[in-house]
Amino acid sequence: MKNKLYLILIFTFLTIIMMDVSVFAHKVNVFAYVEGEKIYTESYFNDGKKCIDSKIEVFDNQGNKLLEGLTDKEGKFSLEVPSEDGDLKIVLTASMGHRAEYSISADELRGAVGLIKEEPEEPVSIVSSETSLVDLKEIQSIIEDTLDEKLKPIMREIKKSREDKISPAEIIGGIGYIIGIFGIIAYFLSRKR
Amino acid sequence: MHISEGILSAPVLVTGAGLTATAVGYSLKKMEHKEVPKVAILSSVFFVASLIHVPLGPSSVHLILNGIIGLLLGWSAFPAILVALAFQGVLFQIGGITTLGVNTLNMAFPAIICFYLFNRGVRSENNFIALTLAFVCGFLAVLLSGTMVAVALVFTGEPFIQVAKLALIAHLPVMILEGALTVFCIGFLRKVRPEILEI
Repeated sequence: MKNKLYLILIFTFLTIIMMDVSVFAHKVNVFAYVEGEKIYTESYFNDGKKCIDSKIEVFDNQGNKLLEGLTDKEGKFSLEVPSEDGDLKIVLTASMGHRAEYSISADELRGAVGLIKEEPEEPVSIVSSETSLVDLKEIQSIIEDTLDEKLKPIMREIKKSREDKISPAEIIGGIGYIIGIFGIIAYFLSRKR
Repeated sequence: MHISEGILSAPVLVTGAGLTATAVGYSLKKMEHKEVPKVAILSSVFFVASLIHVPLGPSSVHLILNGIIGLLLGWSAFPAILVALAFQGVLFQIGGITTLGVNTLNMAFPAIICFYLFNRGVRSENNFIALTLAFVCGFLAVLLSGTMVAVALVFTGEPFIQVAKLALIAHLPVMILEGALTVFCIGFLRKVRPEILEI
């Protein structure tokens, strides 16, 4: 009888795990990417719900707060790329003690800003005529737009892969660890007697 | 329910850790040899329950089960919940290592209160009384946990009214769900294996 009950419990666990229903933890994620002159951030709980009206703070690499704001109805927030160099840290604070961080490296930022800064200088050195300058600018903006468009799915993939899903293997492993720890406790309790 | 790293102020963290350490020490000393398998099983139950999302209307909730764990384990709820939370933190980054003490306290302390309040009640001869109390137990445990999370946040400097309102509204569906689940568990145990409840 005793063993039967434990067997039923274990069986129930395994069925729940195998069902592969949205086995997520309640946790928030924040994801940010640079596009043109702006940094876009998206925030969501990992059951897919967006974080609405949650606080976003941006820190530089010395830990100084640059700015803060609230996410909109879609969990999004955007800001201008700040002028100074260095990594940026984006911190999301959602309700009831949920918090997440995301870092953007200086390289990624400089890539975006650099492109824009070089823009007016380069054409001047090549040709001085007015028309080619406009053309180059136009071409550049078209390329940028197309790239942004083409890169969107990739961005989405990256975002998805960052949503760390919980695999059944990890859950079973966790249960194993817990049973093991209590095995150790049982051992010490039995020595005490 | 799980408070993440970097939210709470140091005094709150230290107080939580200290109280949890004391309670875990006390309960380990008190724990009997033959109790250990039960504690291990319920610790695993807790570990898994927080990972599974139950869709509920537009959002979803996860179970906490601290009411039933308190009823079945008494003081041993502390080590059970501590171990489970530690692994949730390490493996899945739910909660966190620095907040482990506070989180354990938030979930295990209501469990023990429920144990003392309903321990005798759910073992009552009268089936109806026992099951009603089981519901109240499951409900109250989550309510208390939510309140304790709110208190921890308030001590760190968040505005009280806002936090308290959120704690109540966000957890109301969970409270009802947990109450119902506790009724189901106690009803099942009373019928199938009353020895676990020591009736």
